[in-house]
Amino acid sequence: MRERVAVIGIGATPVGRYKDLLDHELLLEAFAQAFKDAGVRKEDIGGLVFSHPRTYTKQRYFATFMAGYLRMQSSATVLEVVGDGMTGGFAFDKAVDEILLGKCNVCVALGVSMETQVPSAEHMNLTMRAVGDVDFQAPFGFTPISWYAMDAVRYMHEHGATREQLASVAVKNRRHASLNPIAQYKDELTLEEVLNARPIVEPLGLLEVPPRSDGAVAVVLSDLETAEKLDRPYAVVRGRGFFHEGAHQISDKPNSMIRLEAAREASRLAYEDAGISAKDIDLAELYAPCTIVEVLASEALGLCPEGQGALWAKQGETALGGSIPLSTSGGLLSRGHPPLVTPLYNVVEVVQQLRGEAGERQVGGAEFALTSAELGNYNAALVHVFGKAG
Amino acid sequence: MRSVRVDRPAPYPPRISAATRPFWDALGDERLTTTRCLDCGDTTFPPKPICPNCFSTQLSWQSLSGRGTLYSYSRVWAGPEVFGEELPYTVCVVDLDDGLRLGSRLLDGVEPEMGKRVTLVFVHYTDATLFFFESEAAMKNES
Ligand SMILES: [Zn+2]
Repeated sequence: MRERVAVIGIGATPVGRYKDLLDHELLLEAFAQAFKDAGVRKEDIGGLVFSHPRTYTKQRYFATFMAGYLRMQSSATVLEVVGDGMTGGFAFDKAVDEILLGKCNVCVALGVSMETQVPSAEHMNLTMRAVGDVDFQAPFGFTPISWYAMDAVRYMHEHGATREQLASVAVKNRRHASLNPIAQYKDELTLEEVLNARPIVEPLGLLEVPPRSDGAVAVVLSDLETAEKLDRPYAVVRGRGFFHEGAHQISDKPNSMIRLEAAREASRLAYEDAGISAKDIDLAELYAPCTIVEVLASEALGLCPEGQGALWAKQGETALGGSIPLSTSGGLLSRGHPPLVTPLYNVVEVVQQLRGEAGERQVGGAEFALTSAELGNYNAALVHVFGKAG
Repeated sequence: MRSVRVDRPAPYPPRISAATRPFWDALGDERLTTTRCLDCGDTTFPPKPICPNCFSTQLSWQSLSGRGTLYSYSRVWAGPEVFGEELPYTVCVVDLDDGLRLGSRLLDGVEPEMGKRVTLVFVHYTDATLFFFESEAAMKNES
């Protein structure tokens, strides 16, 4: 079996609201960009792994429809993967598998997530059935982010973190987004604006929870030999880790809701696979729909000291120029959050960083970068460690 | 333990199956119950037709105290369409004295306090009974 896989091409549409494009048309924009970026021939592509689209995407059997649309024959795989917030991450991970197993030399992970056709309250009629037991939790009115809000209350209670510290994550990420051409929100924010935003799930207000976003991404992967021959900059997948804690939203056996055990274990496995430690990571793109989630994940992944993630954000340690830049793209709060492809957007950002193509967002001398994907209340985590080519 | 009557259907009522009917029937009679494994003694919430600890299917019903501590909470201002009429409301996580954690709703009234004692309130909608909680401080204020 092969040992490593390269990321040789990336394509992503700006995150935003698309009204005049159909779902697959938006995806084709990203796909065409990634194909051109990779510099491979059509016949080199062996497999297509799609993130399963939302139920609002009218075209079903989406993967096979797209294979037909692109007139793509394949002896490796054409399929859609599903994994809630991890969906895009699993698409990427499955494409890595196809190459490691030798089923093909080039595989594309891609997807589109169209969210904005449906108003938020109507959309929550659907998502409330995902983030909890339909019979024993949904009847109380939990929303996806209400669980993170309870994390925030608990974190402030246990660690004495302040609202200002948490809110500073949103200010920092907006500043990063102002430097990212594909970000949904680019106008800088003040701490006061974040703190005074209307409440959504207390203590979190409108600017500390994710926006509604559409977007599409394609990422081209290959074996290292193919990547070398192409003679273009590429990134290498150095390590992977996955862990499910065996709980959905909360464990019925009381434990810490804010330690994010799955992220701890998944990152331990990924660092071990890569032969590095958390200290070697130069930047990270986290799946963090709310300010508090970035704080909790940064601690669980070993990137910030325990109980000090919020303080580090306030002190600028997690900003560009700080000791461990987080969400250099602007993150889910400001780059935007089309959930099913958010993990693929995170891959795009770290690949740009490792290729030295992140412009004003560039983290100087970046050697190793990390992405995380999650679902529920970080009940499961999928972590990838990327390194520079060579 | 108090009970409250609400003169409308629950916004999103639970489904009731053969396996969970004993739980919802008991709740309607104002008792909180769950399943306990006859092989390993483990309890779980919600009740299940299998023991998640040892996968035994030999289970019995057990009453729970309905008292515990508030682990966390959040006031929800933007909720699912079906909950529109109840907004804003406060969701919570409660650790029961019986060693089980569950998700629920806090009755409005007293500002919630982390780690403080809470007690079950049976909320009878016209079509279902749900298990809410309220702070014990709130009960003292009323008496
Ligand atoms: Zn058992």
